[in-house]
Amino acid sequence: MLSGFRKQNVLPGFVPTVGYTVFYLSLIVLIPLSALVFKTAGMSFDGFIRTITAPRVMASYKVTFGAAFIAALINAIFGSLTAWVLARYRFPGKRIIDALIDLPFALPTAVVGITLATVYSSNGWLGSFLEPLGIKIAYSPAGIVVAMTVIGMPFVIRTLQPVIEEIEKETEECAACLGANRLQTFHLVIFPMLLPSILTGFALAFARAVGEYGSVIFIAGNMPMVSEITSLLIVTKLEQYDYSGATAIALVMLLASFVLLLAINLLQRWSRRYAEG
Amino acid sequence: MRIELENISKRFGDFHALNEINLSIPSGGLTALLGPSGSGKTTLLRVIAGLENPESGRILFDGEDTTASDVRERRVGFVFQHYALFRHMTVFENVSFGLRVRPREERPSKKEILERVNDLLHLLQLENFSDRYPVQLSGGQRQRVALARALAVEPQVMLLDEPFGALDAKIRLELRRWLRRLHDKINLTTVFVTHDQEEALEVADVIVITNEGRIEQVGTPEQVYEAPANPFVMDFLGHVNLFRGRVHSGLAYLEGIELPAPEHHAAEDVPAVGYVRPHDLVLERKATGSGSIRARVERTQVVGSVARVSLTINGNHETIEAELTRDLFLKLALVKGEIVYVRPRNVRVFADDEI
Repeated sequence: MLSGFRKQNVLPGFVPTVGYTVFYLSLIVLIPLSALVFKTAGMSFDGFIRTITAPRVMASYKVTFGAAFIAALINAIFGSLTAWVLARYRFPGKRIIDALIDLPFALPTAVVGITLATVYSSNGWLGSFLEPLGIKIAYSPAGIVVAMTVIGMPFVIRTLQPVIEEIEKETEECAACLGANRLQTFHLVIFPMLLPSILTGFALAFARAVGEYGSVIFIAGNMPMVSEITSLLIVTKLEQYDYSGATAIALVMLLASFVLLLAINLLQRWSRRYAEG
Repeated sequence: MRIELENISKRFGDFHALNEINLSIPSGGLTALLGPSGSGKTTLLRVIAGLENPESGRILFDGEDTTASDVRERRVGFVFQHYALFRHMTVFENVSFGLRVRPREERPSKKEILERVNDLLHLLQLENFSDRYPVQLSGGQRQRVALARALAVEPQVMLLDEPFGALDAKIRLELRRWLRRLHDKINLTTVFVTHDQEEALEVADVIVITNEGRIEQVGTPEQVYEAPANPFVMDFLGHVNLFRGRVHSGLAYLEGIELPAPEHHAAEDVPAVGYVRPHDLVLERKATGSGSIRARVERTQVVGSVARVSLTINGNHETIEAELTRDLFLKLALVKGEIVYVRPRNVRVFADDEI
């Protein structure tokens, strides 16, 4: 059956590599996920619906997806700006800033959470200035957004940076020759060229934020109905030996993430329609 | 529109890209800036466009000083070497871009834009590609889209940077003839940069030869080819053979032959070099007076309608190359190793201090 695909392929090793890929994906992704589905299947349908639509659970979806969306949006805007600066300008300390961008990738998320909680708490460096103004970051949903923004930061920057570097000076010069001013050049020429990458970065940052656990639980305050994320609810259920309840919520998270990523991918493909030969 | 450049200089760091350039580009003509890479020809084009600011000097468009005006105000059509098409826009959107970005009060109506763009697409034989994206076009088609886009804003001058540089040989040939015809049809003052002398000689009305940030010669293709101002121009425009010797009161003595060199009538026994094109070397079996050089045939090669013959002179120390027609070559029936006599015609003699 595979021979049909193999015919035009010059590179050797089609069967072993594809075989390995399928094996690897099964082991790492598909088998654990199907276990999730099987475990949930032990519940009655009514019980399942009741578990996943409980008010406390519903509130946690709102907090998780809402905060992740806002965090990804912040990252898309400010990440684009940072990527632009890093790709376009030369200034002292640029390499250090460039290296700092990747820090959230490497830092244990718990460290991020504890640090943020300390800095933003009412007697922390930043929190002590914000608190008198009535802005409460730590132990509130705003704190969740902050933590998710930090851990999602590198995604937009790192996807966008090479794309900006690739835009030729000629493209902008050409727009200027045709009479476009700087603003028109940006919004008619540069931005549409960057949009697919911004969307990719947004999707990655969003997915990362939805899955984030370590840093959020330290800063969120974890108040039920207010600042409790879905991942924490799953852990809570596990600690209460409610395994099927935990997997039921996990399944919802899985489906929601999948649908959202699919939607963003379609959007991204649409915005890149001109690249298809 | 007439373009005049006065004392234009431009440096990039320590590199003098342009050195005190003075040039007048005639209105309505097709002018080629020809030179080796790094000779400043592209910089010159970009200075005319306003994409590069000169350090000193003035640029006049029809007598009006435009040195300080922005690229957007100059109304030049610029076609970049790699086209710089907007890859996220269709052909139609690319071509109409310059019209769509105009301030509201100057912007033509949707219908007018549609008409004008369609006229241009028709002129450039692109009417069937209006909805395609650049990635779906061939190199030659992209080039034409870039031209259409530049023409859409009705520029006063058209500037093209190595317009055919990225195309393969056959399309290149077709497109440059087509450019010539297009130019004859719309009569827009056009300047194009090239490093290909054949291209410049075939297409241009006027050729400006640049070298190391200076202009070596300005003239019609016939002028620069037949009467090169200096050895650089001679050498750059096609192959050339060198004969070393001396000049003395209007006579050149090169490799044992004597030639009149009236332009050096005042020279007193100075070293000189004679430059001869390969097709100006006549090969004969017998010596004709003092005008022939004894040479040995080293290699023969027929390429299409011409034959190239490599010969050694001066006791096999120097190699020269002659070019003759295929018919003549077959009639002579030259054999490798035999001795022939070479009679140079149209020798251009330059004294050593001119080189």
